[in-house]
Amino acid sequence: MSTMSNWKSKLTSSLFILPYFLAFLAFTLIPIVYGFIISFKQYNLLDPVHPFVGLGNYKSIFTEGTQENDLFFIGMKATLKFVVFSVPFLVIVGLGFALLLNALPAKLRSFFRSIYFIPYAVSATVMAVIWKRMFDVTGGFINLLLAKVGIHEFDPIPWLLDSPFVWFALVVATLWWTIGFNMIIFVNALNGVPEDLYEAAKIDGASGWNRLISITLPSIRPVIVFVLITSTIASYNIFAQPNLMSNAGDETKVLLMGILQTAYTAREIGSASAMAILMGLTIMIASIIQFMITNRKE
Amino acid sequence: MKSSKIIYVLLAAVLGIIFILPMLWMFSNSFKTDVEVMAPEFHLFPKEFTWENFQTIFDGGNVDVPIFRWIFNSFFVGFAATFLVLLLDTMAAYALAKLDIPFKKTLFALFIGSLMVPGIISFLPQYLNFSNFNLINTYYVLILPYSGGALGVFLLIQFFQSFPNEIIEAARIDGANKWHVFTSVLLPSSVSIVTTLAIFTFMNVFNDYVWPFFTVTDLEMRTLTAGVAVMATGSFTASYGKLMALATLSTIPTLIIFLIGQKQFVQSITATGVKQ
Repeated sequence: MSTMSNWKSKLTSSLFILPYFLAFLAFTLIPIVYGFIISFKQYNLLDPVHPFVGLGNYKSIFTEGTQENDLFFIGMKATLKFVVFSVPFLVIVGLGFALLLNALPAKLRSFFRSIYFIPYAVSATVMAVIWKRMFDVTGGFINLLLAKVGIHEFDPIPWLLDSPFVWFALVVATLWWTIGFNMIIFVNALNGVPEDLYEAAKIDGASGWNRLISITLPSIRPVIVFVLITSTIASYNIFAQPNLMSNAGDETKVLLMGILQTAYTAREIGSASAMAILMGLTIMIASIIQFMITNRKE
Repeated sequence: MKSSKIIYVLLAAVLGIIFILPMLWMFSNSFKTDVEVMAPEFHLFPKEFTWENFQTIFDGGNVDVPIFRWIFNSFFVGFAATFLVLLLDTMAAYALAKLDIPFKKTLFALFIGSLMVPGIISFLPQYLNFSNFNLINTYYVLILPYSGGALGVFLLIQFFQSFPNEIIEAARIDGANKWHVFTSVLLPSSVSIVTTLAIFTFMNVFNDYVWPFFTVTDLEMRTLTAGVAVMATGSFTASYGKLMALATLSTIPTLIIFLIGQKQFVQSITATGVKQ
């Protein structure tokens, strides 16, 4: 009797998780598994049959001269450039804004927090069109302002056309859009540092800079690692900024652009899936390496 | 006030102005005439104020921008997806945190593990699945995929686990069944975390770009966010005033929700487990 009611209880409990489990199965787990299967097939959207080709798609990505090879490595280069240019700023500027907020009089804190966080409410497409308009060669805010103060008045800077300007533009747009989020994570971390640590340091006569280096940073180290890894993943997945802002061609043709072009323009879903899986694996490996290096015990 | 404080306030104010400027520029450009918007002269505010850009967008005769339909689509998809996520995620998190279910550890590991898998891996197969069921260009493809995400469950579990078991047991002794415990004991105590998840989900869905852009090609089925991308690379490529007017229109809803829910939002980031 008791095993019977226990069995019944488990059944009614399971009903609570069943709807989500089905959604998870249909829209998360099956697509992930299916993604690996497709990557082993020659899957052109226009073909009626999709033969199994083993590692064929992966091989052609690493074979010089194929279109997949071009798109993947041009994309990898552009994506890695963006990660290297953006991530240090996303972490350091985010922390800087948090420190600045905490140094303000309490009454002003929530006001400025709102101001810096507002761009987070803007969609990726709006963010991109706003900043395209900011950096436009003619009629863009920045070049007009520069001309007004007499800088590059007759030879406007090609912000969205050429390296290195285009990277500057993409990083600035990204910082504006997402720095508020990192800032709030850092503010929370800073508020968790025990006050008595600072008091003791003050008595010892440590300067503000010394307190930052020897107390604040070590205390919030796990949060710095968290922001570093999440920012790296976000930057690795960059798409809207180069796709909608940049006119710099291959220089800013990031991985997601290459993958989506392979899937929706060339209609080669198999190759695109193989590229997506390689992209996914590299970002997972990169995250693990970052985590191991930053968590190393001295 | 100490002089160092004054310097910090000044610095914060300058940065604040820099942060507001791009949105101000969008706003001001949307009220400029076609001529002024392209003119190589710096005017922070329009010299000649015009509603023309908004009128063109709202004008029913212009088939290019079915703006009311886009607004409806964005809100409908945003609310439907948020409702679905809240319903499924709260029930699942309750079961995982407080009930005795088979394979609990396996399921939990599976859900958390899925958070580590980059979205691009499931993007194309997800598209194919919907395409095979002929659901491209429908509301289903715009709404359903969000319900399979594990982030909400993860967020809620942490909160539900800290809910005292004694209160649940007391309610059970009083004769409440599991469903009653869920709806009249647990949920009323979780309003803040559920609101947080609602704001997060709504903004995420409303502002999503890549998925709605590639799964919907029918102009009438576009969302505002995807619509901005369509117009930016299409009819409005050279009409900056109109593009900025459209961008302004599509930003106002989330901006309002964001400003109202901001406090909740900030607290929620604390609650997502980013602790020391």
